[in-house]
Amino acid sequence: MKRILVALSTVALLSMASAQPFVWPSAWTSADASEVVMGGTFRDYAISDPRTFNPFVSAEQNQVVDLADATTLITQGPDSDEFIPYMAESFEVSEDGLTVTINVRQGMKWSDGEDITADDFYLTYLAETDPEVGSNGYDSWFIAGAPIVGELVDDYTLRFVFPTTDRTALPVLAISPAPDHILGEIYRSGGAEALKAAWGTDADISETVWATAFVPVEYLEGQRVVFERNPYFGEWNVDEQGTALPYMDRYVVQTVESTDAALNLYLAGELDAYSPANLDEVGVVNQAINNGDIDATLLPNVAPVASSQFIVFNWNKASDPFLQSTFRNVKFRQAMSHLVDREAIVELVYGGSASPMWSNVYQVNEFWVNDDVPKFPFDPERAAALLAEIGFGETNANGILVDGDGNELSFTLATNAGNSQREQLVQIFADAAREVGVEVNVEAIDFNLLVDQLLSSGDDRPFDAILIGLTGGSRVWPFGVNVIPCGTNLHMWNTSGSCLSAQETLAEELYFKGRQTLDTDEALQIGYDIQSTLATLQAQVYTVSPLSHYSWLSTVGGEHPDGLINDQLGSRQLPLTFKRD
Amino acid sequence: MFAYIVRRFINLIPTFIGATLLAFLISQLVPGDFLTQRALEPNVRPETIERLRTQFGLDLPWPVQYVRWMGSLVQGDLGLSFSSNQPVTNLIISPIRNSMVLVVMSLVMLYAIAIPVGVFSAVRQYSAADQIVSAVSYFGLAIPNFFFAQVLILSLFVIRSWTRETFGYNDLLLPVAQMTSSDYLDWPWYRQWWDIFVHALMPAFVVATSGIAGFTRVLRAQMIEYLSSDFIRTARAKGLGQRSVTYKHALRPAIIPFVAGIGGILPVLIGGAGLVEIVVSWPGITPTLLEAISRQDIYVVLGLVVITTILLMVGNLISDLLLAVVDPRIRYD
Repeated sequence: MKRILVALSTVALLSMASAQPFVWPSAWTSADASEVVMGGTFRDYAISDPRTFNPFVSAEQNQVVDLADATTLITQGPDSDEFIPYMAESFEVSEDGLTVTINVRQGMKWSDGEDITADDFYLTYLAETDPEVGSNGYDSWFIAGAPIVGELVDDYTLRFVFPTTDRTALPVLAISPAPDHILGEIYRSGGAEALKAAWGTDADISETVWATAFVPVEYLEGQRVVFERNPYFGEWNVDEQGTALPYMDRYVVQTVESTDAALNLYLAGELDAYSPANLDEVGVVNQAINNGDIDATLLPNVAPVASSQFIVFNWNKASDPFLQSTFRNVKFRQAMSHLVDREAIVELVYGGSASPMWSNVYQVNEFWVNDDVPKFPFDPERAAALLAEIGFGETNANGILVDGDGNELSFTLATNAGNSQREQLVQIFADAAREVGVEVNVEAIDFNLLVDQLLSSGDDRPFDAILIGLTGGSRVWPFGVNVIPCGTNLHMWNTSGSCLSAQETLAEELYFKGRQTLDTDEALQIGYDIQSTLATLQAQVYTVSPLSHYSWLSTVGGEHPDGLINDQLGSRQLPLTFKRD
Repeated sequence: MFAYIVRRFINLIPTFIGATLLAFLISQLVPGDFLTQRALEPNVRPETIERLRTQFGLDLPWPVQYVRWMGSLVQGDLGLSFSSNQPVTNLIISPIRNSMVLVVMSLVMLYAIAIPVGVFSAVRQYSAADQIVSAVSYFGLAIPNFFFAQVLILSLFVIRSWTRETFGYNDLLLPVAQMTSSDYLDWPWYRQWWDIFVHALMPAFVVATSGIAGFTRVLRAQMIEYLSSDFIRTARAKGLGQRSVTYKHALRPAIIPFVAGIGGILPVLIGGAGLVEIVVSWPGITPTLLEAISRQDIYVVLGLVVITTILLMVGNLISDLLLAVVDPRIRYD
């Protein structure tokens, strides 16, 4: 792993003199240059309709610009966590590390032939930082509440001033341009409301412009978006042989209402790729391949998904001092971890297609995962011993452990109704707990109600324990700003506003120290320490992480090389994908 | 009659307010709101959630939200969708149209199949053919549509394996999902119509089956009753042929309840075809409604409720008026 600092200084030395195309490394594809076929259509799918062409409209995860694989100033390739200049020609970091000057690549064009300049990125900055626009990107422009300030220096130069040195700041520069000559005009004349109202799906698609490899040409609501090759993309994107990208002519994204429908379309040969959601679907795809229904590649059990799954205990339960003090006891939580039979969960709930999880970093993020964190694996005897150490040595007539005052060790564990895997998981835990005399009352409740309980704050919150998961996070600093510092809203075991244990305080200190550490190796060490601290604390008892699966028709080439396919990296770069005849 | 219609329309107003109020109230009883799920993203700050909540008006007490929404509704504005910032009207027109394609086709199938089958089993009561029709009808009534759709999809795959091995033909007989093919927009209009027709065949048949079953059973019972009545005996005594007796004299009165029920079809038309739409990925009302419900995009949900409520009320009115037309004993004056 290269260091970010080294990367920044190397980048700073790069030539800025002339307009050079970006060369897509051959390391990003498993295909040999001689295999590549030009033309063809890649037929993909999305579970929900994109519903807007507007890149700034809030809360819509599945925007057209995302389907088209947004192009950004800087980017991360699948082979390295390092940021490299992409739509930027280069960037320079000031000596104090607070100012980043970006030289925008020259020679890039919008799909209508207009030049892409610094103004287009500056528009993104202005719109995303305007609270009235309500863009999803808004929060990324603040570090610890202080704003990152952008400045338009000239047609091809931008400057960003950061309030503090912060390794999480770099990803914010992975911004996409927005066409200043169209959306900028609308924004300047009509303000935030006009900008938000622009480019809905009722817009004339021919009036929208794009920087991406493929541009949308047809949109059928609820059915599909058809993209065609952007003729200007190849002018600044080439492969190592100098061939203009993308290889294909068309990219079609079918909207499906369920993964079942997508699977049916894949089996019917109407989609070029499909990611089976579970082992049952892997079996169906496998059978279709064996029967000769489809000629395809199947990669089952590739890597853990980019999400976590854990049990969290409520430390703020003033109305029940017994449970509150029990939940705050680290030995209790370690005992609970000893009662999570991860191997059984992997086998019984996921049919073997999952792996045990010990740390708060998603396992797919191998670089950051500390394999040596303290572990409390399934061991009922050890659990019973730990519980005895904190006063639960005897059972009552009901077979439930009691303390010296006769308080029964009994609590409710809730998870979201409708998630059958989580419901099974909590049941396996409850059964194991019952064996040692801990009564766990399993409850499946509505997801939003669960989230409301979890995010409630104060001294007396309305739950005992919850099984839930988190997604999101970056490859630069995989620790959530809302999770580790005390007093943040996803510091979900304790929302009293202050740290209640030494390990919480330590984890918080390490978190801020790590963010200010630009050297990746040093940051990694700090990240390891955070994981060890939190693993000892067991504020969140991690369970298992399901594995992801991939499949694509044999006519499709250009997927990532082995080892670079997973839930975080995806399976291919769209411009490097091609269709065999 | 005119006064009756006016009176009915005036009566619709409190019904409409009551229905929308109830729908709004239920949407408020559900825990959380549109922004709850975003609050679980590790990098979204709570103050951002609060700011968006204010922008969307979700921080206001629900009666205020209702009155605001009602205020824009009377001006013909169904509100904005939270998730896409677009007028709800834009978002629901296309799903309504798509669902209507499916529902109209299934209704045509329903009448085209159920009327002859119902008449047939009444005329040949207790024959082997009648027993088979009854058995199939009960099967159609009992099997859930979404499951039947899955069974048909599986059958199409099985048939493909068979045709491939027997004839070397490796295409599916009918599409298994979606409303159009991926080249749809490149085709002339007649081919586009054909494409939608082919895609709709299987799901429309599935939707029609449960209707066919119920319709056939009721029509059979009605027909049997009329076929044994005095006026039919008189008709036969006059020397009328079997065909004329069955279709002119018995079927006409037997079908009256269905004619009167045509008004009830209106809300069904836009009510969508239910879970079948999810199974075959038909871009109709059900997927739109379910997605809006799961995201708690309440104005989209309420928009669909409003349209359904209006059509239900208008449909009921039409039903009542049709009754007066087909049955001379009913008068509204």
